[in-house]
Amino acid sequence: MSQCIVVTSGKGGVGKTTTSANLAVALARMGQKVVCVDADIGLRNLDVVLGLENRIVYDLVNVIEGECRLKQALIKDKRLPNLSLLPAAQTRDKNAVTPDDMKRLVEDMKRDFDWVIIDCPAGIEQGFKNSIAGADRAIVVTTPEVSAIRDADRIVGLIEAHELPEPELILNRYRPGMVHRGDMMSKDDILEILAIPLIGLIPDHEDIITSTNRGMPVAFDDESAVGAAYRRIARRLMGEQIAIPDFTDNATFWNVFKRWMGIKGAQEVIG
Amino acid sequence: MNDLIRRLLGRPAGKSGNDAKQRLKVLLVHDEIDLPPAKMEMMKAEILEVVARYVTIDEDAVTFRLHKDDHRGVALVSNLPVRRVAARA
Repeated sequence: MSQCIVVTSGKGGVGKTTTSANLAVALARMGQKVVCVDADIGLRNLDVVLGLENRIVYDLVNVIEGECRLKQALIKDKRLPNLSLLPAAQTRDKNAVTPDDMKRLVEDMKRDFDWVIIDCPAGIEQGFKNSIAGADRAIVVTTPEVSAIRDADRIVGLIEAHELPEPELILNRYRPGMVHRGDMMSKDDILEILAIPLIGLIPDHEDIITSTNRGMPVAFDDESAVGAAYRRIARRLMGEQIAIPDFTDNATFWNVFKRWMGIKGAQEVIG
Repeated sequence: MNDLIRRLLGRPAGKSGNDAKQRLKVLLVHDEIDLPPAKMEMMKAEILEVVARYVTIDEDAVTFRLHKDDHRGVALVSNLPVRRVAARA
């Protein structure tokens, strides 16, 4: 049974696109057939994060307007043959697509793929409405900041108003050391406020930046703790029950001491 | 190295995480009922004005805030300590 997941957040810059790309890669690496859809029309980015920007010919708006077939617009990832991308149009605006268009498109894709992952644009306007139209399930991404959590709370309300099931939370850019010394809201503080289930916790880490620089999502990297965190979320999406580590070991005395001293390499474990 | 010296000399006390949580809680309650803090101040002033027609309130001890309970209900919680009943006109 195929599923369509929308990755959303309200606020921009909290990591929706990075999350979408990594969940798609992680699911595809588990042998699932996955299509990732960039719904941010006019500001496409998922292609770059996935490293597929040089292969775009057609886009989502071309498909919806009947200028090409869906298969022509899908870009197959050569590193992972069961992962495809449907890029956003770069020169159009969000109003080129309606929620009904998206519903039909998602239904088409669900015939060929196990997972349809929609990377939702920031905001609560047309792009958001389009993105959730065909979704069966929503993931809300937030960071441990007042502004991001405020917007996440608003988005949770809007998702529930659209009769989607209760969304699940990914807490991104978590810094256990800062939580340990009381300078960042903890996982439990945030869950108390948002009151939705947590499906993943992603530590703030340099690997995200280096992997994005290369167009090679960190979920490909078997050595990376962040990559492993994304792969665990994929397994949870598949229904496995796996504990969610909160990386508090990184806040132990020795690691904190090493960071405090500014010892190189300590950043590696900071999370 | 500058960073190390700064840390050795003592950095400002942390614990801003709790400030964030408290600010966020207040913000979400105001968002939910669509009543920005400035408007609430106006409402507070008007309510005090009405109450003061009948009783004298200890204005320094007045508390006035929105409270959100576990069932996602919002309540306006206020405490208006009375000094003495005003003389009837």
